[in-house]
Amino acid sequence: MSDAFRKGARAGWADFLPMSVGLIPWAVVTGIAMRSIGLSPVEAMGMNLIVYAGTAQLGTLPLIATGAPLWLIFVTALVLNLRFVIFSAAIAPAFHDHHWARRVSASYLLVDGVFAVGADKMLGAREPEWRWGYFIAPSVWCWCLWQVFVLVGVLGAEIVPRDWSLEFMVTIALMLLMIPMARTRPMLLAAVAGGLGAVLLRDLPLRLGLFAGIAIGIASGFVAEHWQTRRAER
Amino acid sequence: MSDGLTLWLTFAAIGVTTLMTRGSFIMLGEKARLPAALHRALRYAPAAALSALVVPDILLDGGQLQPLNPKLLAAVVVVVVALRWRNPWLPFILGMGVLIALRKGLGL
Repeated sequence: MSDAFRKGARAGWADFLPMSVGLIPWAVVTGIAMRSIGLSPVEAMGMNLIVYAGTAQLGTLPLIATGAPLWLIFVTALVLNLRFVIFSAAIAPAFHDHHWARRVSASYLLVDGVFAVGADKMLGAREPEWRWGYFIAPSVWCWCLWQVFVLVGVLGAEIVPRDWSLEFMVTIALMLLMIPMARTRPMLLAAVAGGLGAVLLRDLPLRLGLFAGIAIGIASGFVAEHWQTRRAER
Repeated sequence: MSDGLTLWLTFAAIGVTTLMTRGSFIMLGEKARLPAALHRALRYAPAAALSALVVPDILLDGGQLQPLNPKLLAAVVVVVVALRWRNPWLPFILGMGVLIALRKGLGL
C-alpha cells in the first residue's frame, strides 16, 4: 500500500463519513421491504449482494411480488439505474489509468453518495493511487454499512416500527450534499430547475419525470454558465 | 411470486442493469471520451439529480402538490441548521425531530 493510497483513502473516508449515516435507515427500510413481499432472508440478502442498488431493488419489488415477466423487470431496473450512465461518464476519466480489475470493482461499487461527494476531487487529482484510495475506501465502507443494515432490516422486519418515517434521513442526507454545491449561480439554477422539473413532470410513466427533471436541470446550468462567461467577456 | 430458479435469474438480470449502467464509461476507458461540451454539461448532473430526487419528495404528498406538509417544514429546518451551524449531525437530529413532532404530535 503506497503512501498516496493511504492519504487518499483517509481523505475519501472522512469526506463521505457524515453522509453515510443517512444510508442506515434506507438500508433498514430496504431490508424490511424485501421481506414484506415474501422473500426469505437468504433470498433477500442474495438480491442485496447481487444487485447492490437500493432504488432498483425497491422499484422492482412490486413486479417480483406479482410475478411480472423477466423482460419487464429488466427494463424497469434499467430505467431506474439510467442515472448511473451519467455518473459513469462523468467519473470515468478518474479510472482511465487503472487496471481492468479495478474498473470492474468500481462498476459494481459506484453509488450515488460516493459519486456526489467525491467526483470533483477525484477528477482534479493527478496521483492515480491517491485517486483510487479516495474512491475505494468510502465505497467499501458504504458497501459494508449497506449489507449490515439491510441484514438488520431483513432480520428485524417484524419488530422495527414502520411509522417513524426513518427514510426521511436519506432526504436530509441528500439535501446536505446539495447545499455546498449550490454556491455558484449556474449550479443553484441547475438544482432549482431539476427539482421543479421533476415535480411538474411527475406523471410521466416509468419514472421518466425524474430523468426529464435531471436533463432540464443540467441544461439550465449549462446555459446559465454559457451566458455568465459571455457577459464576463464583454 | 416467482419462485426458486426464476427468482435468482431475476436478481441476476437486475444486477446486470446495475453493472451495465455503472460500468458503461468506466469500462470503455480511453476508447470512449465524451465531447468537451457534454462533459461540461455533466458537471451539473449531481446537483440536478439530487434535487430531482429530493424536491418531489418534500413537495408532494400522495402525488399531489402539498406546499405545507411536515416534510417540507422539516426540510426548511434542515437547510437553516446546515447553513447556520457546522455540526454534521445537528441537521439529522433536528430535521427528524421536527418531522416526528409534526406527524405524531400534531397528527399532520
